Amino acid sequence: METIKSAVSAAADTVKDTVKKAVTTTSPEETGNVADQYNLLPKLMPNLDRHLLYPLLNFQADEDAEQPVEQTKVLLQLLQPTHMVDFVGDLYKRIHGLDDVPEEYKQRREEVLKKRDQLEEATRKISDLLDDENVVNNLRSDKVQNLQYLKENHGVTPEMVDQLYEFGQFQYSCGIYPHAAELLYRFRVLSTDNDKVSEATWGKLACEILSVNWEACIEEINKIKENIDTRLFNNPLAQLQHRTWLIHWALFPLFNHDAARDTLTDMFFSLPYINTIQTACPWILRYLAAAVITGRNRASAGRNTNQYQRQIKDLVRIVRQEGYEYNDPVTDFIKALYIDFDFEEAQKKLSETEEILRNDFFLLNMADTFVDSARHLISESYCKIHQRIDINDLSKRLGLSQDEGEKWIVNLIRDTRVDAKIDYQAGTVVMNHPPQSVWQQVIERTKGGFFRTQVLSAAVAK
Amino acid sequence: MSRFFAASDSSSEESSDEEQLYSEEESEEESDEQSEEESDEDDSSSDDEAGGANKFLKDVSDSEESDDEDRVKSVKSAKDKRFDELDGTIKQMENALKINDWQVVNSEYNKLNRLIPALIKQNDGKVPKAYIKAVADLETVMLETVEKQKVSPKKMNAVNTRGLNAVRQSIRKNNKDYAKDIDAYRANEDDFMKEKEPEEIKKTAKKPKKTFDLIDEAAPEGGDDGFVTVGAGGRAVQYTPEGILKTLRSIVDQRGRKNTDRMENIRTLEKLLEVAIVDYQRIRVLLTLISTRFDLTSGTGNQMTQEQWKLAERDLGSLLQILENNRNIVVIENAEEWEDDDKLPTITEGETFRIPGSIASFVERLDDELTRSLQHIDPHTAEYVERLTDETALYTTLVRVLVYAESLKKNPQLELSQDVLNRIVMRRLEHVYFKPSQVVSILEKNGWTALPTSLDSQITPRNISNDTTSLVKTLCTYLFQHSEGILRARAMLCEIYFLALHDQYYRARDMMLMSHLQETISNFDVSTQILFNRALVQVGLCAFRAGLVYEAQTSLQEICGSNRQKELLAQGLQMQRYSQITPEQERLERQRQLPFHMHINLELLECVYLTCSMLLEIPLLAQVGSSPDIRKRVISKTYRRLLEYHERQIFTGPPENTRDHVMQASKALSAGEWKKAADFINSIKIWDLMTNSAQIKDMLSSQIQEEGLRTYLFTYAPFYDTLAIKTLADMFELPERKISAIVSKMISHEELAAALDQVNSAIIFRKGVELSRLQSLALSLSDKATGLIEANEKTLEQRTQGTANAFERQGGRGGRGGGGRGRGGGPGRGGRGGRNQQFTGGALGRAIQA
Repeated sequence: METIKSAVSAAADTVKDTVKKAVTTTSPEETGNVADQYNLLPKLMPNLDRHLLYPLLNFQADEDAEQPVEQTKVLLQLLQPTHMVDFVGDLYKRIHGLDDVPEEYKQRREEVLKKRDQLEEATRKISDLLDDENVVNNLRSDKVQNLQYLKENHGVTPEMVDQLYEFGQFQYSCGIYPHAAELLYRFRVLSTDNDKVSEATWGKLACEILSVNWEACIEEINKIKENIDTRLFNNPLAQLQHRTWLIHWALFPLFNHDAARDTLTDMFFSLPYINTIQTACPWILRYLAAAVITGRNRASAGRNTNQYQRQIKDLVRIVRQEGYEYNDPVTDFIKALYIDFDFEEAQKKLSETEEILRNDFFLLNMADTFVDSARHLISESYCKIHQRIDINDLSKRLGLSQDEGEKWIVNLIRDTRVDAKIDYQAGTVVMNHPPQSVWQQVIERTKGGFFRTQVLSAAVAK
Repeated sequence: MSRFFAASDSSSEESSDEEQLYSEEESEEESDEQSEEESDEDDSSSDDEAGGANKFLKDVSDSEESDDEDRVKSVKSAKDKRFDELDGTIKQMENALKINDWQVVNSEYNKLNRLIPALIKQNDGKVPKAYIKAVADLETVMLETVEKQKVSPKKMNAVNTRGLNAVRQSIRKNNKDYAKDIDAYRANEDDFMKEKEPEEIKKTAKKPKKTFDLIDEAAPEGGDDGFVTVGAGGRAVQYTPEGILKTLRSIVDQRGRKNTDRMENIRTLEKLLEVAIVDYQRIRVLLTLISTRFDLTSGTGNQMTQEQWKLAERDLGSLLQILENNRNIVVIENAEEWEDDDKLPTITEGETFRIPGSIASFVERLDDELTRSLQHIDPHTAEYVERLTDETALYTTLVRVLVYAESLKKNPQLELSQDVLNRIVMRRLEHVYFKPSQVVSILEKNGWTALPTSLDSQITPRNISNDTTSLVKTLCTYLFQHSEGILRARAMLCEIYFLALHDQYYRARDMMLMSHLQETISNFDVSTQILFNRALVQVGLCAFRAGLVYEAQTSLQEICGSNRQKELLAQGLQMQRYSQITPEQERLERQRQLPFHMHINLELLECVYLTCSMLLEIPLLAQVGSSPDIRKRVISKTYRRLLEYHERQIFTGPPENTRDHVMQASKALSAGEWKKAADFINSIKIWDLMTNSAQIKDMLSSQIQEEGLRTYLFTYAPFYDTLAIKTLADMFELPERKISAIVSKMISHEELAAALDQVNSAIIFRKGVELSRLQSLALSLSDKATGLIEANEKTLEQRTQGTANAFERQGGRGGRGGGGRGRGGGPGRGGRGGRNQQFTGGALGRAIQA
């Protein structure tokens, strides 16, 4: 899928500047605006496909009631090389205030249609074949054999298979994603060309993302991941590049598909990917942090609090390591809370974070969950350190009213089973931190000893 | 070879072998020359006391003879040598006669007779007069002795008598052959000798001429040509090439031989250069001239004189000039030699003619010689500074050579090996990397202005010369792309050093970690290892300037903690007790030394290291101090040792040196007196050497404040029930917010058994946290048990490397995984993927142990 890949870089080149301009022009005066200051769009751009970028750009436009011309121009430039002629022509019309679409676009439309018909014709035979149940039933898992079978019985040539690929690419370019996905899937089933297959996988991933088919998305991501590990193992640079792309593309399912969040977060935390984030794209830390922190609700509901703790720990470590290279309010929040233990700073950063989240395409939906979880984290850590807390003060710290604060604390005590009591008269919470007794520590330390020794002796006996 | 790095690699061994060989040759040569000189001296001194029976002088000779010899000495033919030998033998014999040692006389006499036939043949059938004289005298003396022998009662000893008899018998037989000559001699001694004197004079007059005719021959020809060639190059070529190329050949042939007078050769070559008219000749002459200049001082012990160095540099400059102007001739290593001395190669326009040679090696040699002479000059003298100014010239030449090499590289037909370019770029980098950017830009500016404006480099275009950072980056990137192995590693280290020097800690550190050099450095040669150490130390200093105490300490630990900084950084020989170094090792080590201007200030280094260690160790000591059972973690052994030593002293005066300052500051800090500690540290004078000393002092003060607070809490926590944050804030002059942040951190890391009371803003210390003896013992026992299990697992894993996976899957993972995870929580660990633990590299550690 050369075009998709090259589109990635091409989109970066052509659009980056204009977007930067657009971003700055939309808010020329308010340099203090936190959301704009930490806008990641220019950084994400080089790693995403043209089509994938569209929702991101469009999202920015949505904020303002009417789309400014600048914005539309950017979109036009972005989509110009695609085959979505009607839409592009429409955009052009809007920018220039024309009544009718210019001749050039009409002409292109004709061409596109012609090309489509042509490709459709070329692939009709094989598509029909694959629609035929009888044929499909005869297919096995062995690709070569399948091809052989189709060739012998139905006269399918490898060129026809390649036509499938081309048609898929074309449909993608036209914006007909489900069909493109289908075509690419079929191509993948039949083709023996490994390079093209892996490109088709990328293409399919893009299609699935754009057609909001998250289940299939995860499947494709796993395939690509495997591909990177097995096929590029002796080319570290390409590995890094592909992983960077994958990480960026995976942001779409990460924040839109709850079921996948755990697996994807785990993937991000796995050694090769965390290294990629650290070397190539530290800004992903924002998303990673958001994903981890918002994972708290699910963690406390479920059984994996341990895992949650571990993730937080890893996150803190990485945020600290990368502090010199990347920081935004989200990582600053982590830093203030877990590294500096500066609660006031954390509180300040939290409000900034909220604004950022609300202006981020990926994180918009999570803003509330994030703030909620972050509050929990603050109060947890606060309670751990303090013995007596003024409810009033704590509520202020969490950005809540006095009553809300009290309720919050009660809930907290109940949820986390902290040993604490509210002294209503004084308006304080008193925490009781019993020290871990020595025998407990000893037990803790020697817990696994017996088992491990057994394993050891078994291994020796082998 | 080196007691320095045990993992001595083959390359350095080879080179040292070579050097040894070389030096042996050298010493042989020297001794030859010396003995020759001695004999000369002998001669001249014997002139004064002519005939005096000086037992210590081996030979006594007639003045005319020695004169003769002196004059002839410069050029000796085989014939002359024989005559010399004859003279020598005669002298020996006469000496022996004087002391009546007939045995020696006998042997010398036999030797004389063996020599004589050849001499007669050479001397046109005539018997040498000296011989006649000698044998005649010998017979006389012999007869006299025999007479005496009969009369005197004293007997000669047996050996002597036997010698006398042998001489007597043979001389009688022998002298019959020369009876006529001997008679003539006897008849009139003076006449006989005079007769030959004019002959001798003639001979001596002839000989010197021969030595100069090299020049004489060339000079008139050159003069002629100088006039003729104007406009008629073709014909002129017919005369000159014979003279020049042949002379060149003879000089080249002499190269490496003993007893060649190189100064003489240089003079000849200089004359030839004036004479040469065609570029080809000039280039050939210059090539030989430069290498002859280098030959003047080959050997490891001595260095080139400044004068010769400058001349060589000038010659190289003019060689480059010629080459730049005449693009048809190139000097390249893989060229064929032009064998025909009689005619010049025809060089046609548009085609390139190759001359064998290596400009790169010349410039490298120049560089080496400069370094060597800088090594030998006392760095605190004006001479050193003066010599150092030559570096600018050298740098200019380097750049010029680089430009030239690039132009050769552009021509694919020449097949210039990439290696040449790499070497030059590396040399250039090595002149730049350790300097602050202002100095480099001056150097660059001077270099480029000294070069003709038409020259420009592709690798480093003129316009980036102002920007040192990009210059270094370009050079390094070039090497990363085009070289491999040691050069690449060196380039990497140079860039790391440069970045660290310019306060780019994170980039330097990331490069250091990503290069993975710390794992492989022990396989490199010693000088690269030294470069690695230098880069490491510089990274540490950089971290310190950035206020990253922990990182600074860990980077410096390996070098400074070893107590062998001087040796590891090649900044002077460290005399150690109990160490046995052979002179050979010492010599090698001397060769490795860096010139003074490249040194990293060791005192500053020590000061930084100790200060960092203090900031880390004092709170740790305080933390550990109250409970002796916690496993003792030692950050810096050196520091601990110094501290102990300091504490043992009964009376401590006011601090005198850096060490004293740090130690007293440590004491104050551990007592919670942060102000005093800060005063001690800030009064260290050496901070002024850092560029922004005020800033660094501020940084140190604030660090001391924080660590003081931590130390205070650790030390005095058991004595408090509650402690108001306000009090602490007053005590340590920190804002309350900062205090509570620090305390929170300590509580959260379970370093302090306490909790904060927000309402009263106070710290409440938990009671009952002090462990009883039994409890702490139980804890340490459980720790040890865990350690034992882990050790067992590790051993098994190593033993069963192949099958370890099965074992792993069964559940060994639980334990190990936990261990791995725990690592992440450690304080202040930078670096990718937890790599930082190996930051200072096991390699070096191994090297130090060895």
